[in-house]
Amino acid sequence: MLMGAMKHFLFPAAVCAAFLMAALPSPGQTAAAAGAKIPRMTDGKPNLSGLWQAIGTADWDIEDHSSAAGPFFQLGAIGAIPPGQGIVEGGEIPYLPAALEQKKKNEANRWKDDPEVKCYMPGVPRAAYLPYPFQIVQSQKDILLAYEYATTNRLINMGKPQEAATDTWMGTSNGHWEKDTLVVDVTGFNGMAWFDRAGDFASDGLHVVERYTPVDANTISYEATIEDKATFSKPWKISLFLYRNRDKSARLLEFKCVEYAEQLLYGDLVRKGSK
Amino acid sequence: MKSKVLIAVAGLGLALAAAPAWAHHAFAAEFDVSKPLVLKGTVTKMEWINPHAWIHMDVKNADGTVTSWMIEAGAPNGLLRRGFNKSSLPPGTDIVIEGWQAKDGTNRANGSNITYPDGKKLFIGSQGTGAPTDKPDSK
Amino acid sequence: MNHRIFLYSIGVAALMAAVPAVAETPAKSDATFSAPKTPWGDPDIQGTWTSDDTWGVPFERPKNFGTRATLTEDELKARAKTVQNSEEFVESGGTNHSPALAEIQAKEKGETAPAPQGRFGRGVDSAPVPGHWGEFARRASHQTSQVVDPPDGRLPPLTPEAQAALDAKMKIRREPIPASYTNWSYYDRCITRGVAGSILPVIYGNGLEIVQTPGYVAIRYEMVHDVRIIPTDGRPHISSNIKSYMGDAVGHWEGKTLVVETTNLLGGRMAVGVNGDGGAPYSDDMKLTERFTRVSANTVNYELIVDDPKTYTATWKVAFPITHEPGYQLFEYACHEGNMAMHNMLNAARLDDAKKAAEPAK
Repeated sequence: MLMGAMKHFLFPAAVCAAFLMAALPSPGQTAAAAGAKIPRMTDGKPNLSGLWQAIGTADWDIEDHSSAAGPFFQLGAIGAIPPGQGIVEGGEIPYLPAALEQKKKNEANRWKDDPEVKCYMPGVPRAAYLPYPFQIVQSQKDILLAYEYATTNRLINMGKPQEAATDTWMGTSNGHWEKDTLVVDVTGFNGMAWFDRAGDFASDGLHVVERYTPVDANTISYEATIEDKATFSKPWKISLFLYRNRDKSARLLEFKCVEYAEQLLYGDLVRKGSK
Repeated sequence: MKSKVLIAVAGLGLALAAAPAWAHHAFAAEFDVSKPLVLKGTVTKMEWINPHAWIHMDVKNADGTVTSWMIEAGAPNGLLRRGFNKSSLPPGTDIVIEGWQAKDGTNRANGSNITYPDGKKLFIGSQGTGAPTDKPDSK
Repeated sequence: MNHRIFLYSIGVAALMAAVPAVAETPAKSDATFSAPKTPWGDPDIQGTWTSDDTWGVPFERPKNFGTRATLTEDELKARAKTVQNSEEFVESGGTNHSPALAEIQAKEKGETAPAPQGRFGRGVDSAPVPGHWGEFARRASHQTSQVVDPPDGRLPPLTPEAQAALDAKMKIRREPIPASYTNWSYYDRCITRGVAGSILPVIYGNGLEIVQTPGYVAIRYEMVHDVRIIPTDGRPHISSNIKSYMGDAVGHWEGKTLVVETTNLLGGRMAVGVNGDGGAPYSDDMKLTERFTRVSANTVNYELIVDDPKTYTATWKVAFPITHEPGYQLFEYACHEGNMAMHNMLNAARLDDAKKAAEPAK
């Protein structure tokens, strides 16, 4: 993690919240409403290129949650789960009864079953609010999203929409512009990703529509509508802000976590006494 | 190819392939060169995953029972580039696998030759998606 | 992992002769070609590219070619035939019967099975899956090797330290019963193929995609999903205390050529070679210089200069064209997530350990 850059993000939460309430529109409001100057491409479209990161604890749990002890007392306070306010509109995910049972099972087994523990790809929308930055590289046509976590990346096809050839972790992304909002339709998921460390999940029938709206030069309003008839009783929505890392020296770094998960995944099959 | 010989042969201990010991480390690490086998069965699922696709199949035994097998195949991305997709090997398809059983003795095998029962191969032909066989404009 | 590497050995020898393919070098610059520019004025090298066409060209030049860097017309025709044959092998599904079939058939007739023929004479060191899972060159390359400098197309001698490191690595790779996942390469472990390994051609998955925005060029590689975001605004490298597998890349434009310099590489692990594992592990101090020059609508000439005095006694250079193929698309390659082979291989190794322990002492 880039500590020098992080300090620019991590101003105290209370100050942050107050500032947001006062100065920024709520997620979903347009840039025009904010009257803000946003960077633009030569064709006038917003240029979302840059290093972005969410603030908050959504990756721990996208619903409201209290603080809790972590699994390893040896880690003391840094191993604990911080409290957080959810990003789910309406507060609760509308699970179908069987899916709610599965979510509870997932949560009970989070320390071994969470794909993030295993360094698996995060899926969408989780990639947007992981506690790692991601970089948008926006060309005059397609848009690349490169996430620091697990060197995951995805290309948003801005041309003729394409059907998913097969199911994948990150899905198949087709984008278009609606005024200043980048709308990304994502399908073709394999149903193996979770939404957070609390076991929230969906099936391979998941359909996500993301909306990236710049509200000023350094802030993107991010919304995602989530639909999956096998898991939820109705479509639901999350919303949060993405903040630009303004540190001049900031770069997307390499966090290849595979080697930090191998002992966990294969350790019982390693010859005893060898590393 | 005579179809009657394509009976399920699980753990064909007698059939010793004349494989030298220097066979590729990685392959030999996962599969047993002394356990070649032929399986005839029905696809239950194909996992289009990298680095290798896995074909799940049910094989009927002589006594009427069914054994499930997992067959490791190649990397699917080349096939996707050639226009095949997740529907290209639907459950219920009858297939024949020649390969080698996993070293750990489980019902997993490497598929060296994968065909339909009539000997026709799976995933043949280009479907015009930038595959090498789409004749490029001689650039 | 299992056969991603060993498919190389199918190679060309196994394929039978047929019709020659049209051979034309894609690497020559078209004098009339004017390179496209992005709307903000940079040379535009965006899109999907593949090094497929160099698949089959030896990495180091076979010694009999000496300093001759290109094939004669006759040699080129022969290579065109191999290209054609690999296409046919792949498109026909590349029959690859296992010896089991012949044995079962023979047993039914009460006969003795014939000895395995052809590639199977080499045991399992042959195509482990039907040929149609592979990808291949579309055109025959004129090049006698991927290494173009030194003039003999062969790597400069290793330093004694690097030779010792290579020997140590190979010893671990060849242990008859692997103790751990660390016995396998970083590619087998689905960690990375490194900067060079991500573009050097292999049996499949040679695609990369370039995306540009003002001030940056990004390169994403399909296999093992590495991505490099290269600033072109003149900024310096990040602190040398931050090291990584893909290193820190900074770039600039020299005319229509993108020049990328990569440092901050994690030494002692990866090599500059096939899949990032072929060759001696490079050092922390290695500097890679890459040049991407668009020479025609569908061709970018790629060059890689390796400068690592702790490993190699001289600098050396690899060069080959990468081509744009209409419709060629990258797909997600979730390698680690699907790496069931690692589990299977380790499981087999522990069973081998148990078997060995049960053997009576000799």
